[in-house]
Amino acid sequence: MLLSRRNKRHRVYILIIEIILLVFVVLINLPFFWMISASFKMKNEVLAYPPRVFPSKINFDGYKYIWTLVPFARYFFNSVVVSVSIAVSKIILSSIAAFAFAKIPFKGKNTIFYIFLGTMMIPFEVIVIPDYIIVNAFGWLDTYWALIVPFTVGAFSIFLLRQFFLGIPTDLDDAAEIDGAGKLRYLFSIIYPLSKPALLTVGLYAFLASWNSFLWPLIVTNKDEMRVIQIGLKALQDSWMIEWNALTAASTVATVPIIILFFFVQKHFLEGISITGLKA
Amino acid sequence: MGARERRNNLLGWLFITPPIVIFGIFIFAPMGVALFVSLHKWNLLSSMKFVGLKNYVRMFHSESFWNSLRVSLIYVLGTVPTSVIFAMILAILMNQKIYGLSFFRIMIYLPVITSMAAAAIVFQYLFEPEFGFVNFVLSSIGLPKMKWLNDPNQALFALIIVGIWKRVGYNTIILLAGLQAIPSVYYEAAKIDGANNSQVVRKITIPLLSPVTFFVTIMQIIASLKVFTSIVVMTEGGPAGGTEAIPYYLYKNAFQYHKMGYASAVAYVLFAIIFIFTLLQFKFGEKKVHYQ
Repeated sequence: MLLSRRNKRHRVYILIIEIILLVFVVLINLPFFWMISASFKMKNEVLAYPPRVFPSKINFDGYKYIWTLVPFARYFFNSVVVSVSIAVSKIILSSIAAFAFAKIPFKGKNTIFYIFLGTMMIPFEVIVIPDYIIVNAFGWLDTYWALIVPFTVGAFSIFLLRQFFLGIPTDLDDAAEIDGAGKLRYLFSIIYPLSKPALLTVGLYAFLASWNSFLWPLIVTNKDEMRVIQIGLKALQDSWMIEWNALTAASTVATVPIIILFFFVQKHFLEGISITGLKA
Repeated sequence: MGARERRNNLLGWLFITPPIVIFGIFIFAPMGVALFVSLHKWNLLSSMKFVGLKNYVRMFHSESFWNSLRVSLIYVLGTVPTSVIFAMILAILMNQKIYGLSFFRIMIYLPVITSMAAAAIVFQYLFEPEFGFVNFVLSSIGLPKMKWLNDPNQALFALIIVGIWKRVGYNTIILLAGLQAIPSVYYEAAKIDGANNSQVVRKITIPLLSPVTFFVTIMQIIASLKVFTSIVVMTEGGPAGGTEAIPYYLYKNAFQYHKMGYASAVAYVLFAIIFIFTLLQFKFGEKKVHYQ
């Protein structure tokens, strides 16, 4: 009798928590709801007061508008090119460096690794001006070089992959060495296949950070055709004929692919975040 | 043995050469360049003129600089405690035996992974004084409609809301991981001693969580000091400089006024402020290493 009463109280307690969390989840995602809903409205309906929850009729004017007013397809393409390049480059270059730190004994290894980690303590906002000066001096303004090269490798990716590689048992290293495999062959034939989830995670982090990046593309691109999608949003906002249904449509296009990608990989991603948070 | 050692040294250094080059050119060299430029007056076109510490002196006498410090300070004070406390409450709730934990984790993390530019546009729409959703909600519960982005102080308040919204998911996930890492032994012992829920939270959960809480707080402070994109998209520093936080002030001076020397000096001051907090985390953050 007593046990079932305590059980019931516990169940109510859990239910209340679930409701609170659900309410919070709904609240925090309201902006996305409004973003998508507004993007399908007609241009006068999007200004209606009181605001209507759903569009009276699904209307694609907003979406049609953004492709015609600015080269939005080009912006999207630029973002894809830049972000994929950075992700692939980070996977390759960071894994090679991480492998060296984890599996190759060489002089000065630890000192250099700590120096690399030190780069994570330098906020980008602080070096952005000199980076601009340097990139300008190379003649890279308004080119993919400026957008990609500075981010081809990152300390965070190296750190993540080194952690992962360190988890691979040294017995494997010894076995490979006994079999006469050089370090390079070891890396390609054994380490890489074993590391697919870690490499994928690093690639995703890199892709995401690059897709959402704003400050750097803002200052190194000026020509319309070199803009990435985030700067394209700002360009749309500045254009004199813009309406809210078009702006929210643009925001939707800039956001939804990432959200969909996130749903596919969220398990790895969230675990990765938790681990790095705890180890830091 | 000597040959293998030499080969490993060669290979090791070869493998880390790309990062050394990239970091050297784009991170370490710029630190020196920034310092150098900050001691000069330069507009990118004509030649640099050495002015020593004049830029720094001018900064400390500049009303607009002190304004940007004020804005950043208010932004940090507005975002950090709220965000961390919110995240703590959420993490504690999510640490209970609830169904659908993965669902909640994913859904609160969505704002974190979306682009700030896109979100800022949507918030600008929601904060529209005439027809925005926020004012609609306010007026339907009997409160007056606010001017939001049209008023210097309310605009900063709006930015603070956006800032909290953006990162609360990240803070929650980290705190949740920290909570889950607390060995259940402590809770069991407390239960045997007859502690009630509130005592458990106060005397066990929160103290054992404090390293993670500290980490999350420092991370949030640093992130808040770097606030930029939302300002560019929503307010452009206005109205009347009311939302011109330090990074935006830096950007304006460098890329609109082309005062590269002065802006570099501001950059170094920003670096110093952020570095203090980075050092604090380094020194006082506990490092827990788990061996398998």
